[in-house]
Order: sequence, then structure tokens, then C-alpha cells
Amino acid sequence: MANNGAKISFKNGLQNQMRDFLKECMKKGIFDAVVLPVRVPANDSYAWILMNDISIVDQANPIPPVMPVQGAKALKSLTRKGDGILKIATIMKPCEIRATIELAKLSQVNLENITLISYDCPGAIPMSIYNNLSDDMEIFYNDVVSENNFVSEKMKEVCGFCVDFSDVPDDLHFGFTGLENEVYIIPNTGKGNSVLEKLEMKSSENLSQWKKNVADIKKIKSKNRIDIYKQVQPTVDGLDNLQKTYEKCIGCHNCQSACPICYCRQCFFDSTASEQSANTLIDIAEKRGGIGFPRDKIMFQVGRMSHMSLSCVSCGQCMDACPVNIPVAKIFSFVSSKTQNTFEYRAGFSGDEPIPLKVYKDDELSKIHEIVKNAESDGSEHE
Amino acid sequence: MSKVIKIDINSKQGLLDFLEHLLSNNEISGVMSLRKINENGICDYGLITEVDDLKSIEPFAPVMPVNASHILSSITPAKKPIIAIIKPCELRGFVERVKRKQGSMKNIITVSYTCGGVLPLNTFQSDDNEKIVSEYFETIKGTDTPENVRPVCKACEHFIPMTADITISVFGNKDFNSKSCLMMNTEQAIKLSKSYKCEIVEKKMDDKLMDEILKKRKAGKEKLYKEIAITKDGLDEFVDIFGKCIGCHGCSRVCPICYCTLCDFESSNYDYKVDLIENELSQKDGLRLPPDTIFFQLGRLNHMSFSCIGCGQCEDVCPAGIPVSSIFKKVGESTAELFDYIPGKDVEEIIPVMMIKEQEFPEVGE
Repeated sequence: MANNGAKISFKNGLQNQMRDFLKECMKKGIFDAVVLPVRVPANDSYAWILMNDISIVDQANPIPPVMPVQGAKALKSLTRKGDGILKIATIMKPCEIRATIELAKLSQVNLENITLISYDCPGAIPMSIYNNLSDDMEIFYNDVVSENNFVSEKMKEVCGFCVDFSDVPDDLHFGFTGLENEVYIIPNTGKGNSVLEKLEMKSSENLSQWKKNVADIKKIKSKNRIDIYKQVQPTVDGLDNLQKTYEKCIGCHNCQSACPICYCRQCFFDSTASEQSANTLIDIAEKRGGIGFPRDKIMFQVGRMSHMSLSCVSCGQCMDACPVNIPVAKIFSFVSSKTQNTFEYRAGFSGDEPIPLKVYKDDELSKIHEIVKNAESDGSEHE
Repeated sequence: MSKVIKIDINSKQGLLDFLEHLLSNNEISGVMSLRKINENGICDYGLITEVDDLKSIEPFAPVMPVNASHILSSITPAKKPIIAIIKPCELRGFVERVKRKQGSMKNIITVSYTCGGVLPLNTFQSDDNEKIVSEYFETIKGTDTPENVRPVCKACEHFIPMTADITISVFGNKDFNSKSCLMMNTEQAIKLSKSYKCEIVEKKMDDKLMDEILKKRKAGKEKLYKEIAITKDGLDEFVDIFGKCIGCHGCSRVCPICYCTLCDFESSNYDYKVDLIENELSQKDGLRLPPDTIFFQLGRLNHMSFSCIGCGQCEDVCPAGIPVSSIFKKVGESTAELFDYIPGKDVEEIIPVMMIKEQEFPEVGE
């Protein structure tokens, strides 16, 4: 993270300031188009809109109260097949930026012509709550932003323990934690620096006070995180508990299709490869006295975890999309923290750091040998 | 008139007794039914082959975790006879799937019942499960549909199973808790029951009672359709309704009719090159990302609406709370009507898109 940034004072609210910033960039030709959240015509949700008309920017809400579609998915739909000719900027929540960076590593997003802008994130309201009370929630969230409230309890549960609400390797960052009517625009990359240079903005302000403010909030969230992980741990410890936790699962795979990281066009678990024939299923049922449907509930969850947990950014979209209220995001966040720690990797924190699954080390996870050895000797005792 | 097996215990126990007899005498090899999987009343569909395990079945539980036609597809063609206890719309869904070669009726004996509707997953899977379910059964002893069932259930006119081998009277049956009546509708069912020692009478469904329920359901339908009435012309209304769609396609995955392994709208046909998007942007000033939100809904309607059986799974899983099922049921009925088609009514009937008539929709030609 950069140590210096440009400071701007504003009178008409932060979101206005952010819009003005983008409009200025578009006027100067720094960006040809922007991708921003805009309230849908029925006012009950937000959609990502790619726009090149400066006048539409005023309809956008750079810090929306909800996250209906994870921003990384919007960028994927734009650049999956390569970069274009337009210089495009986007303002997204930090977890959306991190997911974007993971997708770029997985060659699903092309960041060549994209400038990523983020901000200190107050969190997002669960979609089910926002959908029904959108006007009230707009007012509520506006207050949250203007009051600089980063610990509101109305946000998604994952937001409550998100320690990375400000830490994000975006090109430009709007930092306002603990500030009043002021915001730092912080360039974190060469791309970000060049934007500020073109705007003739000097990033000479020292950020130490803001960083301290962020650290204070982080402390609260870290504590929440420890508490939540403590709650989650026993619910996923061992197959029996995992089965109990997921017994409500109806196998709709909404969690996977809402996940920004699960980019496969066709999930293995939806493919014919994971189908069993009628005869096989009946044979299994006869052997066991009975089987339940959908099949492979746990296999799917564990399979998905092993496929994507190293890149999980704890955005909470899976939990928002679960029709039977399984705390999917808390579980995935907990498990991911374990797998990512194992490889000393943090999803979406550096574009240069390769995904662990793509790196082979001769000497790796030596502990597993011991576990396997112990398991083998345990097994022989039973015999 | 049908042959009816009469047993002097409550409907669930009566059915259970019949099933235990069939399974222990190898007349059938298994039973597919909803079953209780924990103390909170949560149910899943199970394929049960062991007599002792039959006790867990909850054949009439007012919940649909998965549309059973999906499961029947996966266990057919069955090599040995299996009894499947499913709801009327699940049976119709299965008939539609069989027509599409996604399942087989071979060795499947279907048991269904007059259905009072299902509770949304979140209502059923609540801490109050026991209370909610007992209130439900109390209500459906009469002819009123419980208020808390899925919106489409309140508007469902097909609560009497259309093609079941065995029908049980549940909705409107005041003797549900004291007597068991299994109506044997087909030769297959009668043959199966021959070894079962019981009182068999000739009986007909109470038409007057069924008409009364139907009348109320028709009123329910009118009310529902009024609620989702189209008030704006063209796409605007669609944008209003589906604007909050997050494109998760959960609706299509749980749909009993949408059987494609890979939906066209998830295929690479809809991965647009960025220059195409940029070009469109130059003409429109603003574009939604990801694109094709409404296109997907219209495409799906186009592909499956005349087979839509209005089961409500799509609406139950929609994370954005869009009344998907109510809309699809309404549109589906209008499209099916054009072809005088009722989905799931007859397995021999050909699906309208599989059939060409020389004289069809001449007004479209004009």
C-alpha cells in the first residue's frame, strides 16, 4: 500500500465526490467508459452498467448498499475473451476487486485496459433484506456511509468480520475511514499514479492517521472473526458434523453460480461425468437399505471447497443465494483461511503472486506424509 | 368407479402397512418417498429398500426440497418395480420428462394424492416446523388452501393426480387421521394389491367436494394473476420484474422441465467478444453487465413454458425474490392453451414442439 495520497475535501457527500472524480477523468480522456452500479428501474436492486456517457454517471451509486452480482463477474463478462480498445475504470468493493484479481490469474478477466478503483467498505446489506425495503435501506446505508460506520450490524455476516475492508491492491483507493468530509485518493500502482498525474493531483499527503483509523476498525473485525471461526469450527469438524450442517441442502448449486471464483462454464458436479446410472443407484440403495437425494451433497461442497477455497475472498455471495439459509459463506471463509494459511497465500492481494495450485515445490506439505503414515498404522491396528 | 383398499387406521399408517407388505414380499424392490432426516422435521427424498427404514417416510409432508421428477429420472429405467410417492405436479413433471426421454415409466408405480399445496422451503424448515405442519393438516381437512403455501399452490387447479396408479385422498379428507383409502386406478396397481389382505370396495372420488376446492383454487388463480398483471407494454414490464435478477440460473437448475446438462445461456454462445460489447456501447450509451438478463428469462420461457407444471421450485430458490413461478405458470398456461395442451396429462400425448401441423397459426402468417 502506498504511504501517500491526494486529499480532497467535499461538501455534497462522498459518492458525489467519487462521481465527480470519474467525470473529470472521462472529460480528460483518461477513461473512455466506466462500469458502475446503477439502481434498476424498479428501484429494488442494483445492476452493473458499462457507460460511456458522462451524464449517466450521475445515476450511478459508486458505493451501493447491496451486492446483487459480484463485480468480478461483471468484469468477466466484459473481458473474458480478451481486452478491448476502450480504457475502462470501475469502482468496486474490495472483495470484488480481490475476486477480479483472482479471476485475472485464472485467465477469466483481462485487466490490460481496466483501472480498478476501490474504497474503505462499510459492507453490504443482505439481498433479501434490501429487496423488500429498498427505499428505507437506501436512507439507512447513506447514513452508514456519511457517518463513517464500518461496524454496522445490519450488514452481511461476512462483512461483520471482514478484516480486509480497506486492504486491497486496487489501482486507486478512496480512503475515508475516520475522516470527516475528506477523502484520500491513494494510488497503489503505476496505473493509479498516472491517473493522478494526468489530473495534476499531487499525492503528497501522509496517510499515517488514516492507516491508524483503519487499523482500529480492523481490530474490532479481527475479534469478530475469531469469534465466528470459533463458532463455525465444530460445525464442520469431521464428516458427521459436515453432514449435519449441510443436511438442509437441496443441491441447487446457487452458491456455486453466485460465486465469483467458480468460473467453470459447467461445474463438474453438474456434468454427466458425475452422474450415476439408475442401476448403480438402485444397487447402492439395496446395499445400504436406502439412499437420500440429492446425491453427493457433501461431495459437492467439499469438491467446491477444494477447487476454489484458495481463491475465496469471503464476499458472502454464496450465503446470500442459498435458498435454505445454510451459513455457506462463514464455512467457506473459515476453511479458506486454513487452506490459504497453509500456502501462506492471501486471495486477491497481489496480482503477481501465483495461485498455489499452479506452483510446484519439491518440498511441500511434508506434514501430510506423517498424517498418511499415522492413518496407515491406525488402519493396520484395526485389522 | 375404482377399486379402493380400505384400512381402519390413519392414512399414513395405512399406506405404510401396504408398503411394508409389498416390500417384505418382494412385490416391489423399493419405495421413493419424502422421509424425515432429523428431529427438526427436515425432509429429503429417499429411495428405501429396507422394510425397517420405511418408518422414516413422510409421504404427505407439505414440502418439496427437490422436484421429485428429477430424482425419478435418475433412478429410471428401473430394473425392478419401485413405488414412488410424489405430489401431483411432480408426477406431471415426470410425465413431461418421460416425453423428453429423460426418464422411463418402466417399473415405476406412482402413488399420489390430492394436494393441499407445499410450504416454501424456509417456512417448512423453520424451528416451528411441528406447529406449522400440524396447522397445515388441520386446514386441509376442509376445502381451504392454507394461506402460507407457495403462491402458485394457491392457484393450482391440478391438485388431483392425473396419471397416478394409486391415489390417496388427503386434501379435503376429514377422515385423514382415522381411515385409509387407497384408490387403485390402474391394472398395475390392482395386480400389485392382490396379495394384500384387505377390504376392497368400489368407490368414486367425492366430486362435489373436489369441485368446491377447484372453485376456490380458481378464485386463487384469478387473484394471483391479477397481482402479476402486465400493466406496461413490451419489455418495460419485464425489466421491472426481472431487473433484480442476479443471473444465478437457480430457477433453471431446479426446474423439472429444464433438463439440459448445459443450458444454452451458459454456453460459450453468450460469451461476447469485447469489441462486440464496445461496439454496442457506442450505440447505446449504457449496457448492463453481465448481459442477457431478460433474454435468459424469455429464452427459458420459450423453451419450457408449455410444459411448465407450476410447481413453484424456481420461485422458492430465487435469491432475489422474483415471483418467477407465478409468471412462468401464467405464461405457460397461455402458451399451452394455444396448443390445447395440458402438461403432464397423458404420457402418450406429443409435446406441441415435436409436432407439425400444416394448418397452424394462420393468423401469424398474415
